[in-house]
Amino acid sequence: MRRPQKSCPFCETRVRFIDYKDDRTLGRFLTDTGKILPSRLSGVCARHQRQLSTAIKRARYLALVPYIRGHQA
Amino acid sequence: MPRTYEVVYIFDAALEDAAITDTLTRVHTLLGTGDVAVEHWGKRQLAYPIGRRETGHYAIAHFEAEATTLPEYERALKLDEGVVRYLITLHEHEVGAPPMTEEEIAAGRGRASDDDDDED
Repeated sequence: MRRPQKSCPFCETRVRFIDYKDDRTLGRFLTDTGKILPSRLSGVCARHQRQLSTAIKRARYLALVPYIRGHQA
Repeated sequence: MPRTYEVVYIFDAALEDAAITDTLTRVHTLLGTGDVAVEHWGKRQLAYPIGRRETGHYAIAHFEAEATTLPEYERALKLDEGVVRYLITLHEHEVGAPPMTEEEIAAGRGRASDDDDDED
């Protein structure tokens, strides 16, 4: 079954490059546990999803975004 | 050929501002370029503790440098105790890039609809 087409939020705002330092935006594309949200849920296009995953991984290393959320050590 | 880089540093939050500026100027002289644009974010909560640290002083630098100067510069950063983490990225296409045009978005959408058949 064909799922309804969602429009890419990055294309809508004409974003060319996703900034890995913008943790507020990146946070919107993480699940409650801190996983990268799949594009089938967020509607992000393939080009931006590739950029997004790199950006989130960079932001994780820089401790701007958590690797896992809600984990008590 | 010089290339444009962007570096994000995380300094130990316990360091004085003067010490951070000193470290930055010291490592940036190794690059052999005069103009390094530094932007300080200041103290920021880390998303997860690094060692025992809960906060870090973030600083971002933009510069053009020869790739051959980077190993020595990176070595100095690794040896510096005050630098908790750093990330060097190429920052070439982002500089002055115009927002995406309608045609580019349409081109991407056309391609996506062809191979977009994964199951939900």
